Amino acid sequence: MRRNTRLGLGAAAISIALAVSACGTTDDGDDDKAGGGGGGDCSGTIGLMGALSGSNASVVTPSRDGAKLAVKQFLAENEDCDITLTEFDTEGDPAKATPLANQIATNEDFIGIIGGAFSGETRAMKPIFQEAGVVMISQSATATDLTQVDQVDVFHRVVGYDDVQGAAIANYLEGSGATKVFVVDDSTTYGEPLATKVKSDLGDLVVDSDKTQEGQTDFAAVVSKIESAAPDAVFYAGYAAEAGPFLKQLRDAGVEAEFVGGDGLYGSDFPTAAGPNSEGAVVTCPCLPADQAEGNFAEDFEAEYGTAPGAYAAEGYDAANIFLQGFKEGNNTREKMLDWVNNYTGSGITKDYEFDENGDVALDKVVIWAYEIKDGALTPKEELSAE
Amino acid sequence: MDLNSLLDHTVDGLTKGSIYALVALGYTLVYGVLKLINFAHSEVFMVGIWSVLGVYTALGITGASGFGALAVALVLGSVAAVLASAGTALAIERIAYRPLRKKNAPALIYLITSIGCSLVLVETFGFVLRQFFGPPFGRALVSIPTVISYDTLFTIGDVKISNIQVIIIVSALVMMIALDQFVNRSRLGRGVRAVAQDPDTAALMGVNKDRIIMLVFVLGGAMAGVAALLHTLRFGAAKFDIGFLIGVKAFTAAVLGGIGNLRGALVGGLLLGVAETFSSSLISSNWEDVTAFVVLIIILMFRPTGLLGESLGKARA
Repeated sequence: MRRNTRLGLGAAAISIALAVSACGTTDDGDDDKAGGGGGGDCSGTIGLMGALSGSNASVVTPSRDGAKLAVKQFLAENEDCDITLTEFDTEGDPAKATPLANQIATNEDFIGIIGGAFSGETRAMKPIFQEAGVVMISQSATATDLTQVDQVDVFHRVVGYDDVQGAAIANYLEGSGATKVFVVDDSTTYGEPLATKVKSDLGDLVVDSDKTQEGQTDFAAVVSKIESAAPDAVFYAGYAAEAGPFLKQLRDAGVEAEFVGGDGLYGSDFPTAAGPNSEGAVVTCPCLPADQAEGNFAEDFEAEYGTAPGAYAAEGYDAANIFLQGFKEGNNTREKMLDWVNNYTGSGITKDYEFDENGDVALDKVVIWAYEIKDGALTPKEELSAE
Repeated sequence: MDLNSLLDHTVDGLTKGSIYALVALGYTLVYGVLKLINFAHSEVFMVGIWSVLGVYTALGITGASGFGALAVALVLGSVAAVLASAGTALAIERIAYRPLRKKNAPALIYLITSIGCSLVLVETFGFVLRQFFGPPFGRALVSIPTVISYDTLFTIGDVKISNIQVIIIVSALVMMIALDQFVNRSRLGRGVRAVAQDPDTAALMGVNKDRIIMLVFVLGGAMAGVAALLHTLRFGAAKFDIGFLIGVKAFTAAVLGGIGNLRGALVGGLLLGVAETFSSSLISSNWEDVTAFVVLIIILMFRPTGLLGESLGKARA
């Protein structure tokens, strides 16, 4: 008898708890919706999708902040406009990005997307947004196939792609006098093609290569392979989450070779995770150093957020501004905005924009920079060329 | 593969395997005495790593601190890791497993509870603590300062043996021999073996079952604490889910050597470490995990009780 009553009470308690939690909102989207679109001509909502939390967040949050700054400055100057920027945290994972993309695609309020931030999730989102006609402008998805192989009408990006980045990296390594280069990639659909491009451009300079995996923390095997190959330089194509411990273990094992990484490493977490022996490590990025951007972007960013702009901050600003100017011209539906972006010509703070038929910026406008770790932070080193 | 790389990889594998072996001891001890697979043991290891980070942060240690400060940090870190891990193991036993024992729960319930404990601890460090304390807790990886800098201790032929490798292998061996001697020679150890063999008869013989079980968890936790410190020497990183893969591999090592067998945990751990290292150099680093489990399957196919077979509770001379 007593047991039945207890069971009954327990079941009631559980069902109440479940009902209450089901009524709560999910914490997938950080909704800053302040009323949403609806008003006059200059109104609408854009979404921003990327890894806003997790180990790779520092690669994406600067561009989110840049975009937010652009929206804030725009709304200050154009008070009759009602634009909202809604953030969606995908953690950089295509599996998490897909349901969020579906959510956005079916919500008619969303006119455009800034994103995805990473190539893998962008690949997953493209077909969903193409079907719904939601225009995408990515600030950092650099995988070449996104525009060169699987071209869709809605996808655009404000940065160069990995074939160009890879060529620039190869030029840099050759120019640095390296005669033996060890190439490591992280087996993702971003890292692998980048590493392949670098390997093919370096040709005989590649002494050996290896692969790591996402989420890997123990790099002893790769490190020991590198030790036996004794290269002058190590190139890593992957993300900051793995690169940090990898570089740390590499230096802890006494390997002095120059370390070069692709743009997936450009996050403020990378130097911290890599430890004090990471000084001098180089990270390349198809992004302009913020202090080279037009106007007062770097000062405004620092005034707003208290830190210097990081990876792709200025590109995020530019991507947002393309949308904002579109809204100003009254493009408040998906078709009109898509048309606007497709035919857009104008100047952002990092470069002049005119998207080609694949959604890329003109090749001669692409910038690739090398950044190096100095005093525990990534600072601009030199501009690279892909020729 | 020439002799030099053979030796190099073997030493690397032994280093890696020592950590697996120490963590495996926790699994094997608890299984031997309680017939329970303690999936929360991987989180006991994780807590040890976080406590080392805590000590270093509290002492203000960075890579550039002086030798004396580093030595103190190392000692305090080890003590903290052992205490934290043993404490966590004990807490899990009191909170999660003892009520189940009192109610004579079926084995499946223990399993589910252990998985639940593991998840609770993982999320505590990955999410809950971040809500209250902010960074460094959370999903991102946290760097731990290097307390012992890499140095080549000696060379055999062309192979450089580093100080960290020696420290890890020697410490692990010392701890394992100590534990083995304790279980086989001391009075409490005899109690452990008695409870492993037959808990009720042991109670009739005057062995306090509950105390012995607590001791077993504490011993396993302490071994995991030492493993945690050695792991931070080697990798210098803390993450909320760092226990997961090590735990799975260590459990594999325990089964490989014969679950419930202390020496089996040692053999299994070292063997697994060496197998992984060889496979990652012969094929490619991302084949490491696959090889570990293929080795397990092959050994179990031909010798289901594991390599050394016998269990803790079997009467031995």
